This record gives sequence, C-alpha cells and structure tokens, in this order.
Amino acid sequence: MGIVERLQTIRAEGIERLAAAASVAELEAVRDELLGDDSEVASARRGLRDADPADRKAIGRAVNEVTTALTTAAEERREDLAAEEERIRLEGERVDMTLPGRAPARGSAHLIMQVWDEIVDIFVGLGYSVASGPEVETAFYNFDALNTPPTHPARLESDTLYVAHGDEPEGVLLRTQTSPVQARHMEQHEPPVYIVAPGRTFRRDQTDATHTPVFHQMEGLAVDRGITFADLKGTLHSFAREFFGPDSEIRFLPNFFPFTEPSAEMHVSCFACDGSGCRTCSRTGWIELLGCGMVDPNVFEAVGYDPTEVTGFAFGVGIDRLAQIRYGVPELRLFYDADLRVLEQYR
Amino acid sequence: MKVSLRWIQEFVDLPTTDVDELERVMSNLGLEVEGVEHVDTDFTGVVVGRVTEVAPHPNADKLRVATCDIGADEPHTVVCGAWNFDEGAVVTVALPGAVLPGGFEIGTREIRGVPSPGMICSERELGLGEDADGILVLDDDHPPLGADFADALPYPDVVFDLSITPNRPDAMSVHGVARDLAAHYDIDLRRPEITVETPGADTAITVRVEDPERCPRFTAREIRDIEIGAAPLWMRLRLRDAGMRPINNVVDITNYVMLEYGQPLHAFDLDEVPDETIVVRRAGKGERLTTLDSVDRALSTEDLVIAGPDEALALAGVMGGETSEVSEETSRILLEVAHFSAPHVLLTGKRHALRSEAVARFERGVDPELPPLASDRAAALMAEYAGGTVAGGFVDEYPGEAEATRVDLPADEVTRLLGVEIDPDTIAGYLERLGFTVERGDPMRVTVPSYRPDVSRPADLVEEVLRLHGFDAVPERVPHGPGGGLPDAEARRRAVRAAMVGAGYHETMSYAFVGPGDVEAMGYPDDDVRAHPVGVRNPLNEEEGVLRTTLLPGLLRGLRVNQTRNNPDVALFEMGRTFFADAGPLPHQPEHLAFATVGAVPGPAWSHGGEVRDWTDATGLVATLGEALGLDLHVRQTSRPGFHPGRCADVVLDGAVIGTVGEIHPRVAARFDVTGRVAAGELDLTSVLQRPPHRVFVTPSPYPPVVFDLAFDLPAEVPAADLVRAVRDAGGEHLERAVLFDVFTGPPLEQGRKSLGVRLTYRDPGRTLTDEELGPVRDSIAAAVADHLDGILRSG
Repeated sequence: MGIVERLQTIRAEGIERLAAAASVAELEAVRDELLGDDSEVASARRGLRDADPADRKAIGRAVNEVTTALTTAAEERREDLAAEEERIRLEGERVDMTLPGRAPARGSAHLIMQVWDEIVDIFVGLGYSVASGPEVETAFYNFDALNTPPTHPARLESDTLYVAHGDEPEGVLLRTQTSPVQARHMEQHEPPVYIVAPGRTFRRDQTDATHTPVFHQMEGLAVDRGITFADLKGTLHSFAREFFGPDSEIRFLPNFFPFTEPSAEMHVSCFACDGSGCRTCSRTGWIELLGCGMVDPNVFEAVGYDPTEVTGFAFGVGIDRLAQIRYGVPELRLFYDADLRVLEQYR
Repeated sequence: MKVSLRWIQEFVDLPTTDVDELERVMSNLGLEVEGVEHVDTDFTGVVVGRVTEVAPHPNADKLRVATCDIGADEPHTVVCGAWNFDEGAVVTVALPGAVLPGGFEIGTREIRGVPSPGMICSERELGLGEDADGILVLDDDHPPLGADFADALPYPDVVFDLSITPNRPDAMSVHGVARDLAAHYDIDLRRPEITVETPGADTAITVRVEDPERCPRFTAREIRDIEIGAAPLWMRLRLRDAGMRPINNVVDITNYVMLEYGQPLHAFDLDEVPDETIVVRRAGKGERLTTLDSVDRALSTEDLVIAGPDEALALAGVMGGETSEVSEETSRILLEVAHFSAPHVLLTGKRHALRSEAVARFERGVDPELPPLASDRAAALMAEYAGGTVAGGFVDEYPGEAEATRVDLPADEVTRLLGVEIDPDTIAGYLERLGFTVERGDPMRVTVPSYRPDVSRPADLVEEVLRLHGFDAVPERVPHGPGGGLPDAEARRRAVRAAMVGAGYHETMSYAFVGPGDVEAMGYPDDDVRAHPVGVRNPLNEEEGVLRTTLLPGLLRGLRVNQTRNNPDVALFEMGRTFFADAGPLPHQPEHLAFATVGAVPGPAWSHGGEVRDWTDATGLVATLGEALGLDLHVRQTSRPGFHPGRCADVVLDGAVIGTVGEIHPRVAARFDVTGRVAAGELDLTSVLQRPPHRVFVTPSPYPPVVFDLAFDLPAEVPAADLVRAVRDAGGEHLERAVLFDVFTGPPLEQGRKSLGVRLTYRDPGRTLTDEELGPVRDSIAAAVADHLDGILRSG
C-alpha cells in the first residue's frame, strides 16, 4: 500500500475516532496521536524531503488534506462536546420559575394625593400657579374676607372646629374650605391672578360612611380684566374633559355661595354610564361635581381690588369626592384607614 | 320643600305638565329638584254614601249595622265597627269588588251572622292618612251620593321635593315657586282675591314691640267662635303631601297658608294670653319656656320671645309655647303674623337645635310686606273651615316701613360678567317678569321687590338675568394664566413622596387632631413643645381634642391596625401639618414627614433570612431621601424622647437638626400596642422644601481607579460616620469614594475597642494614578484618624 493510500486510511479512521471521543480530554489525546509529533502524519510530512520527486507532490497534498480534515473534525467535535457540557451544567441549574421572585418593595401614594397631583397638573397646564395657606386659619380669612356675615350658619360651633388660640373664642379655626387662600393670595398679589389652592379642610362631622371631619378641596381662582362666566364655563369644561374623559358634558344650575355672584353648581355627565344613568350618578346621568361662580364684588373690596376694573371666577372642588367617584371607593372614611388592604389598592 | 303641581296650578296656567320638563325648568331656575313623587289614589270601587240608619248588631256588642244611601234604588247595608258617626253622616263605602290600598279586595262577608256587602272605610284604609280611630266622615262639601270617591279627590298629582338655597326666601312657598315658573314661561301669576268679613266687635288685643330690630313688623288679629275640629280633607291631603302632619283646623290653616305664601303664622289660644297683651322682647336672664315639642328650654338673652305681660309664650319665629297652644277647648285665637329678622331666627334656631318650618323660612328673610295678606288668607279660611268670626281691629305694628332697594345696572354689566351679549330690552324684560320695576336707560334703574332681600347690587341682578337666560346660552372660552409651572416646593414635595413610595412605604392620612392620650403616650418631657398641643375648643369627642404636634401617633396606630388584622409587615408614611402654640395670629404649622415600619424586611418568604426591620431601615431611608432631594442629609447619634435611647439619631442638614430617626422606644411602642422593633422617623420638611436641589454634573473619568482598604483600631464609642468623615476630609482631591465595609469587635482587639474598615476608591479625571503616589495620602489619613479619633491604622 502506498503512502498516499495509507494517509487516506488514517484520515478515515481518524475522523471516526475523533467523533467517538467522549470528552475534551479524550479528544485531545486522539488528536495528539493523529497529528502530534509522533504521528504517522507528522512523519510523512517529515519524509517529504526524501521522497521521490515524482511522488512528492501527491504525498504533500495528501498530508495537507489529512491534516486539515482531522483538524476540522477535532474542532467540530470540541464544539459539540463543549455544548453538551454546557447543557449538562445549565440543566443542573434549573429552578422553579414560578416561585415568588425578589420584587423591590413598592409602596403607594395616597389616592387623594394622586388625584391632587393630577388636577393640579391640569391647571398648571392652563398656566395656573399653585398657592397654599394655613390649615389653622383666622375667622377673618375663612369667613369675613369671603363675604360671610357674622350670623352665617357655617360659623356656628356645631359646624366649625374652633382652635384655642388667642383671646377670641371664635377667632381661630380649622379652615372649613380652601377659599381663604383666595383672599390671602389676592392681598399679596396684584392681578392677574391664576391659581389653584389644594389643601386640607375640616368640618365638625362625626366620622361615618359619607362624612369625615377632615377632607380635601382644591380652590381655583382666575382674576383678570375681562374674565367672564364664559371663561369659567370653558375652563371647567376643559377640566372635566381632562379628568373624566374627552366626551364629558357639563351643565350648570344656579346655586348660592357667599363669595360668588352669580353662583352655580356644576354637574358633569356620568363617566361610568355616559349619561344613561347608573349607580355612580344615582341614575340621573349627571354627577354633582363642584360649586363655582363669579367672584363677589365684596370679596374684591375686602382684598383691595377694584371690582369695576377686574372680574374673576372661582370654584372649589372636593378632592376626596373626585377620588371617590372616579375609583368607586365605597366609603369616604376608607381614605383615613391605614389598613394595608386599603392602601395597597392605591398602587 | 315639597310642592304639589296642582297647588302651583292654582296660581299659574302652565304650558306643560310634563314632569321631566318641569323638573328641568325648576332646576335651571335654581330650585333644585331633589325628588319627584307621583301621588294618586290607590283604591277603586269606593262610593259616597249617607248613613240613613244605624242599628245594633244582633250578635256583637262592638259592631253596628249601618244602612247607607249610595244613590242607588236600594239602600246598602254593611256591618261597621266604628262609632264616630251617626245617622246622617256622609261616608265612603267600599262596595263588593272594590280594591283598597295594598291590593286588599272587598267582597261580601258574613260578620257574626250578618252579611256585609263591603264596608265603610277609614282614612287609613283608603291610604289617605294615619287616622284609623274611626271611619272617614265627609264634610258638607261632599260629592253627590253614589259618586266614585276616587274621582272626587285632587289626584293624580305630582309632588316636587325642592332644595331651596339660603338666598331665596321668595321661593319657600307654592306661590313663590309659581312666581318663578311664571317668569320663566312669561305667563301671568294669579293672586286670588281674599275677602275677610269682620262682623265682630273690635279686638282688645294690644301689642308692644320692644325690639323692632329683631321684630320689624308684628300683626295680630282676633278670631272668635272657633270650633276646633279636623281641617277639610283636601287641606289635610295637601299638608300630608307637603310632608306635614294634620293636627286640627286652626293649626292646619296656619300651616297651609305658610306653605302657600311662605309666611309663618302662629295661633295662640287667646284665653291663655293674659290681659290680651303681647310684648315682643328679649328673653330675660334665666327665663324658661316649654315649647310645643314639650321641651323645657333655658332661654338666652339673645333670644326674642313673644310674651304676655309677664311670661314668655313663644320663641319668636321659631316655635310656640305649650301654655298658649291651641287645644280642643280653644274658642278664641290670636293670629300672629309677624316679620322677624333672619339672623336672629337662624341663631335662635341653631342655639336650641330647632329646625321648624318657620325657622327654615324666617332664617332666609321673609317678605316684610306679606303679613297682612297671609293674615287675611288664614282668617278667611278659619271663617270658612273653623267656624271663626273675625273680630274687627287688625293690629299692625310696623314702625319702620322698609324702603324699596334700588340698584343701578350699567348697560354693559351683564356682558362684562357673563361674556354673552343680551340686548337691554331682553334684560329689562327678564327683570320685570321676576317682579322688578325697571326704568330703561344706561344705567338701568331697577327697583327690587320686597320679597327679594338678596338682591342689592348689579351682580345680583346679573344672576337673575342668567337664571332666566339660561347657562346654556353662555359660550365657552378658556383663558390661560401667565404660567410658571409647578412651584419648587410642590415639585419637591412630590419628590419626597416618590422617594418614599419607591422605598416601599405606603402613604396614609390621619386626622389633624388626636387625643391628649396620644401625646402623653409619646413620653415627651414637660419642656418639650410637643408635650403642649394646641387645643380644639369644641371637639366632637376627646379623642379629637388637640392638634397634633407629631405625626408618629397616627402611624403607630396604623401599624397596630395592621398587626391586629394579621398583616405583620408594614411600612407607612404620612406627610402633613403639625401645630404648635405661637405668639402670632396663628399657631406655627410646619409640614412634617414621618414614617414607621415593623415586621420582616421585604423579600420572598420562601427564601427569607428572617431579617426584621430595625434602625438601619430608618437611617438608610435618610440616605435615600437625601439622594432623592439632592441634599446632604446625614445622621448624628443622639437620644431623643420617644425613641430607643441607644438607637436614635438626629437628621442634620447643613448643621441644623431637621428631624429624628431610629427605633421607637419599646415602652412607647407598647403603649400603642405595637409588637416588635419599630423603625421610624420624623422630619420637618420646611427647610427641605425650600431648598433647590444641588446638582453638579461631571464627566466620568475613563481611567482605572486605585482601590485599597484601610482598617482602624478605634475606641468603641467613635461613630462610624465620624471615621468616614475624617477619612474623606483627609483623603485629598482624588478620593472618589470612601465606604465603610467592615465592623468587628473582640480578640485580638482590646476591650472597649473596635475595628472599622473603609474601602477607598481613588481616580483622576486625566490620567492613571499609581499606588506609589497615594502613599502620602494614606499617611495623612492615618495621622488624621489618630489625632481626632484615637484610631490606629491596623492594615492597608
């Protein structure tokens, strides 16, 4: 058998042996035996110099072919073996992916604060600024400056919580509305004024499903030359569309507040039933949303504005109520419950 | 206030009786419709009959047999258990086949051996009232015998339940509602002619008003020969439908006229008014009066009373008194129709917690011109339905007759306030329809009718115009403010909240008031301002008696609530105002942030290491907040009331203490029934919210760092933060990071010593640093720690 034939036999057998190697170590040993310095292939390569010139070319080609073929076969087998070893290792790392994962602890902002931020943002978008005032307030700002006469029923001890501060028994109180911020802000700023004033308010109510002594309101106030009821309507419609959805309709009914004239109550078409009547809207199709009106001239006079120069509108909306109706919170007092089963629903 | 549609129709011919339409119109007029009730008779087959003969029942002592003429050829005989009628009485007879309220079918029954085809009905059996003591006996005004009784009743009717705003005294009556509807539809309002015959001799009643400010007008008249009995059925039904209980003809008539015109009236038994003398005065000190509701009331000297020469007889404008109450024996009455000032009645009503129909009207301000009309109307009705003879002499004390209010309405005022153009004639027309007198021109000179005390300025007239013109006619426009975005403090408040939520805390809200016990439970010493909360003068209960000086009690209660409800792992926070006594016009009201957490550290329970919340949660949260706000917040060990003495630190911003964090003192936690270690803290947000974030951006160095560790042997009491600060201060300009990574005590260290390891990272923005060049910094750090903290470099 000639050397070329012998090399082909080595190649054929070698490929089989390499393919049969069961580990990377065995593969290396076989490869060394086939292609290492002591191998027949190496000695054939070394013998080329002494070979008959007529055969040298054919033997050389055969040596190269065998070397390439065995090297390639060894590489292929090595990759297969590595993949298999990886497969076995990873299989050993298999877990039950349905076990609870390591979730970062996540808290929640109070639902009232979520709504608070949302409605503040709506008005900031309309160019309003945000104002605030004290929660314990003087009777002057809470009532007098807002055209509320000393005999007004809201001032009675049965409705208002008075605070032991100063000499007058009914001089300092827990504010019953966010409206005093109107008066405070106008005293400090010249028109134009475009503000919203969200905040906590208080009433002397026993806690039950529909009453809490603490609640939240947002006051809105726009005072400028040429502000009219049309501006009030447009602004509140815009608010209703952003908060309740683009198809929201609004309607106004005459009402009474000491600090606005004309005064109105705004209703919004029920977002839950599109006005056809459901539980959310007590089957009327409308939700009573807020009180509003044109700023009473007496309020302007109390803060030193000239009511013949400027006009303005004001509104007050209950934040707790907005949160309650939009999210269907069954009882107002839940807002003041620290039970996690309540709080976790605010996420 | 409930008003019947049929009653309204006595005053106006409405163009529609469509209930939805009327409901919409009334609401648009500011007369909010809170409910609509369809009222109708609920019986059939009942006819009118006259009792022609009454015979004893042969087998029962308590029953009688009544023969009735029901307009048919044959008399109709039934068995009856009532005794309040005799022969000649006109009654209602349910014939066989009749159906009474509740689906109760009437047939022929044999009652103790006597057949009874049907029955004679009581008011209650017909669903017309509560009276079940006897059968319904009709008065002389009855329908013909045999007539279907249902047809004779003023039904079907619709009753609207209206909510009238406090500024609308004029709308507190059937007539007032009709007046608004007439204005809306631009139709005529009828005012029926009332004629009062005064055949009797003049009355001897005298009236003295001592407080004309509270009682600007007082009218009185005498009606004699009164026969107390039931008011006519139609009147009783009207009262019932309006939500009032019929009492007797005299009282029912005063109520009827009040509902009709909005003017409260009161009838006194004149024989119980000593000397027939009325004095309208303030109550004396210590004076008492038992009112019609049988409550013996201590009067305030602010209360106005209607008195005889000596004793108070009634609480003016609020409620009558028991002694002069109209009773079965009453034969002469004094009919009081007066005007009382609104604030007085309101305050007296509130003071005595009395919400009478009279209060509801007077507190809004009744028309001072109404009393003569209302008195006439009531007198005429009493003459007709209570046998009354009206005495001559109508007493009318009205010293300061009210002058009509005039308002000038500039031509452009309506447009200026409403943003809609309405031509002057239309404006004048609206006002005239509402009863205002208008002199056209610019300005329009408007005279306000006496029944509208709420209108005194141009803006008030604009509201009237808007009511009739309608809100829908006003266009919509959206003005934009000057902008400026969210104020910094609001933005930072949100950043604090977001950081807390991101850290796994749930926001809660508690009331601003707490019980004194909550403050005591915190264990603040007497010299701590938090131990002296500002009080609420009129709390609903003691548990809400003082304003909070700390948010922690609310949170501790929150933890407790969850622990009792089997939710042991809780993390809560609250942001809100606290209140402190102050010499200024108002208490000091800083906004605080507080948090409290108890239970297991978050993580999947199946692989949990059993770690529970402790002080590290509190101090770690300070770092989180500092990062969120871009502020250098750090902690300084101390001990503060309410906190564990060895696990408490101040939160410091620029050298100022702004709060405390740590573990709640176990004794305090126990007082709130919270079990386990509670990590908590409270910060004053005032300075935090005012400070803009300090942010400087730096391009990261592309060069590798040099990292090495230094361990120091230190006295046990040296705070770790002091070591890290000393290392940083002495660390030189290239020190990027110094992190405490190791703490240990015990051998080979001596007693009272500890080892703290710090890992330092050095880097230069422009080149690679070498170990060699950091040798000098290492030495200076070691020297600084040795000098300031008595620390010995152990390795590094």
